[in-house]
Amino acid sequence: MRSPAWTLMLAALLWPGSVGAQQPGLTRALDLERRGDYAAAVAAYQDVLRSVPADISALLGLERSLLPLNRSRDMIPIIRSALAASPRNPAVYGIALRAWADVGEPDSVRTIAEQWARLAPDDESPYREWGAAELARQNRAGAQAAYLRGRTRLGKPDALAAELAQLALANSDYIGSLREWLLAIQQLPGYRAAAVSNLSQAPERVRPALLRILAEHSDPTSRRLEAELRARWGDPAGALRIVMDVLPSDRVQAIAMLRGLLDQLRPSPSLDAKQTQGRILEALAERSPPVQASRFRLEAAQAYAAAGDRNAARRMLGGLADDRAAPSSISSDAGATLVDVLISEGKLDEADKRLAELRRQVSADEYDRLRRKLASAWIRAGDLSRADSAVAADSSVEGLALSGRVHLYRGDLKGAMERFKAAGPYTSDRTEATWRTTLLALLQPFEADTNSNLGHALLLLEQGDTAQASTALERLGAALPPQHGGAELNLLAGRLLASAGRLSDAERLFRTAASPEAPGTAPAAELALAELLVGTGKAGEAVSLLEHLILTYPQSALVPQARRKLDEARGAVPRT
Amino acid sequence: MRRREFVRRTCAGLAALHPSLLPSPFAPRHSSSPWLLVPMDDAQADHLKAYGLAYRALKRGTRAEWFLNYRNGSFLLPGDSATSRDAALVGVTVEPIDESRLAETRGLLQGGNMDAVPLEKLPKVAVYAPPNAPPWDDAVTMALNYAGIDFEKVWDGEVFDQKLKQYDWLHLHHEDFTGQYSKFFLNYAGAPWLVDMVERNRAMAQSRGFTSVPAEKQAVAIAIANFVERGGFLFAMCTATETLDLALAADKVDIAASYADGSPMDPNASARMNWKRALAFQNAQLQLSPTIAVYSDIDGHQVNSPDQRQPLGSFSLFNFSAKIDPVATMLVQNHRQVIPDFYGLTTSFTRKTLKPSVTVLGEETGAPWVKYIHGEHGQGTWTFFGGHDPEDPQHQIGDAPTDLSLHPHSPGYRLILNNVLFPAAKKKELKT
Repeated sequence: MRSPAWTLMLAALLWPGSVGAQQPGLTRALDLERRGDYAAAVAAYQDVLRSVPADISALLGLERSLLPLNRSRDMIPIIRSALAASPRNPAVYGIALRAWADVGEPDSVRTIAEQWARLAPDDESPYREWGAAELARQNRAGAQAAYLRGRTRLGKPDALAAELAQLALANSDYIGSLREWLLAIQQLPGYRAAAVSNLSQAPERVRPALLRILAEHSDPTSRRLEAELRARWGDPAGALRIVMDVLPSDRVQAIAMLRGLLDQLRPSPSLDAKQTQGRILEALAERSPPVQASRFRLEAAQAYAAAGDRNAARRMLGGLADDRAAPSSISSDAGATLVDVLISEGKLDEADKRLAELRRQVSADEYDRLRRKLASAWIRAGDLSRADSAVAADSSVEGLALSGRVHLYRGDLKGAMERFKAAGPYTSDRTEATWRTTLLALLQPFEADTNSNLGHALLLLEQGDTAQASTALERLGAALPPQHGGAELNLLAGRLLASAGRLSDAERLFRTAASPEAPGTAPAAELALAELLVGTGKAGEAVSLLEHLILTYPQSALVPQARRKLDEARGAVPRT
Repeated sequence: MRRREFVRRTCAGLAALHPSLLPSPFAPRHSSSPWLLVPMDDAQADHLKAYGLAYRALKRGTRAEWFLNYRNGSFLLPGDSATSRDAALVGVTVEPIDESRLAETRGLLQGGNMDAVPLEKLPKVAVYAPPNAPPWDDAVTMALNYAGIDFEKVWDGEVFDQKLKQYDWLHLHHEDFTGQYSKFFLNYAGAPWLVDMVERNRAMAQSRGFTSVPAEKQAVAIAIANFVERGGFLFAMCTATETLDLALAADKVDIAASYADGSPMDPNASARMNWKRALAFQNAQLQLSPTIAVYSDIDGHQVNSPDQRQPLGSFSLFNFSAKIDPVATMLVQNHRQVIPDFYGLTTSFTRKTLKPSVTVLGEETGAPWVKYIHGEHGQGTWTFFGGHDPEDPQHQIGDAPTDLSLHPHSPGYRLILNNVLFPAAKKKELKT
């Protein structure tokens, strides 16, 4: 709703002869107020008002200063004098209305609003202020009555529509709110952002009804509102379809409409939203001058790539990277995006070639990021030599971490551990850091410096071959004593099998891993087993196991998690 | 398997490889200490489960004591292996103490506003709820489940079949004893849960020969009041507090809307109520509109009345004399004296509608309402606590259930659990 203070300030500025005539006294009062000496400021404002009772600046200052002193009631005699001195000044009525509202006299509020309305018969302000005063005392019904009275008196069916829309929303009347917002937007299109923000909160059960109402309206304003709501409610493709149907031929208006929808979609991480962003950006590019169009195409390519639509990404990038007319920053960004796409497509040689060409065009950080991404892709492709050479000269912590993985998959456990330790547990994103620390923990019990079979098994896991990896890990685990890596490998293999749905095999491996000879691994194995048992409806057995874990390994960091699982198994807390 | 998923699943195992070198406060101690003190101040790791620990000690037939006002209402439990084991399993902080320290503590209790109350009887707990009630929509059920305190569910059939006699403690939550389905009938018409509620209640009323659901619910309310009169302990929250008294006071007065019993509410209902039959309230003005989910001006917050709804503040617990008023003292044991308020269909109780005999246990200072009240009726006692869920202050229909493992120190839930253990205390001559 429009701010009452803003309305009053505007009125104060427009009303003649307010500030200038009282400048010295008013300046002193304002200074006292600014310094926080409200009692003195009140006295100074009152001095000003003694000579000019309807000085708006002084009245507003007095109102502000009395509030922190909890003396708002003192405004009443002052405002009475002001009204007597200036009975046709609408700004005085606004302050008067608020003064009576502050002291909890709704009948006086109503009287003042009616007087003000007679003075300004075409103005919505009296009713708006009246409604605001009713809302301030949490009387929504009173506020609604004030707004509706204003609408009737003004003879305008769309008067105060934004206020009524928000009121309806506060009463959870989403349909009523939408109907009012539609009126408000027709009157003032700038309300659309507020309408979208408000109506997007509607619960799912009422959304179909809202969309049905919107579909009854064919005007562009309503269609645009529907599109932006659909975007907020997870239907980006539907949103774009509507926008394209009503897209104006005027280029500037079309760009504004497309940009509005793009802004609604930007926060959404879904693939659908990314894909639609790509299409909007493409449409924007078609309607923009060359330099801007290049930028939009680049962004479209990035959005398509994020959505996994590599063909569309490549289509956007086609020519952009080699476009001499495009600004250098755009062509280099396009080149970098193309390398990303090529890596995603598994075209590593081509990506390598493109990256080499880009070396001088992109920033060092961007180049390093792409190089590491390429190295990871080489690892997944099983070409450890090329991965190693890609990070050989990289002494950054991220590079060390990547190098550690290469060493690990080659079976060089000692070299891998040294690099993982040097990289530390905090670099790169959280998933990477956790994975690295997990590997470090896995390797710690091993006595041997090298184990090519383990390296191969973990490489299979990196490559996504869970079945082969679990088989290899189980075979290795069986060959090693529990305390020297056997238990850890069985636990890892069990987890892989559990995630693949082979629950009985997973259970067998968890039981093997929960060996008292490997007290560092046993709590995790028992917890994993308990989770599996709870998931398969064997809550009673899980309870015994969790009790054993808590009592046998009381110092394990997993005890709080075990207690939580115990609560779940016993039905003491809701399942998560 | 994707690596991200794999990492998520395996990171738990990582923690086990780096166990803390510090001794765990929960490690089972099989020391020679004959007693375990369960501190209830900020040293306690799980205040809510501590009540369950005490309850289960009683269940095993051992003796326990409640040290009122000592370290915010600590418990003294035997230092046997079963109790130590239980404490370790549930993560409740216990401090082994020997006889000399116990004697020193008893000296402290004697000297200050403190007392030791023996806990002797295992309370038999019943929760009044329809058979299909979800377990996570009732703060007491959640608290009992979380703490590990046994309870049984009863509903109208059990009440009519005189089963309440089997229990010491009965809990009511958001039941509507005026038979108007929480006055959601019109606003939530067609909602599956409401349809189910209506059908279930109508079937029960019909099976027991009542002409309407309001008549049947009034009979249940009277049976519950009789349970208290015979010596039962009643604890009610949310709208069960207000509607129980309205149903009791509506002696030959139609206070139900026509959708509930086929006839409109008596427009003079407020004037015709017989408040002598009510437990806690008097002289309330009833809400005549069937569309506003408000019953009367007993509730100070009027959460479902757009015109009257009041904002949430916080409420303070009174400090009672432990030696003179042990019952009230037990009910307010807490490690926080000021607690954030929370809404319910009935959130609070206006002072003007309280009977003079009511003991106020918690109030919002300066507000025209109180939050937590207690009183006697015949041989028994009742305690009313306004609001729905202490850890979900703006509770809405369909909200996700509260997970108490995320609120192990909840002072609001502690008040509920004080009530559960209160019937276990050995009866003394009480002033309250």
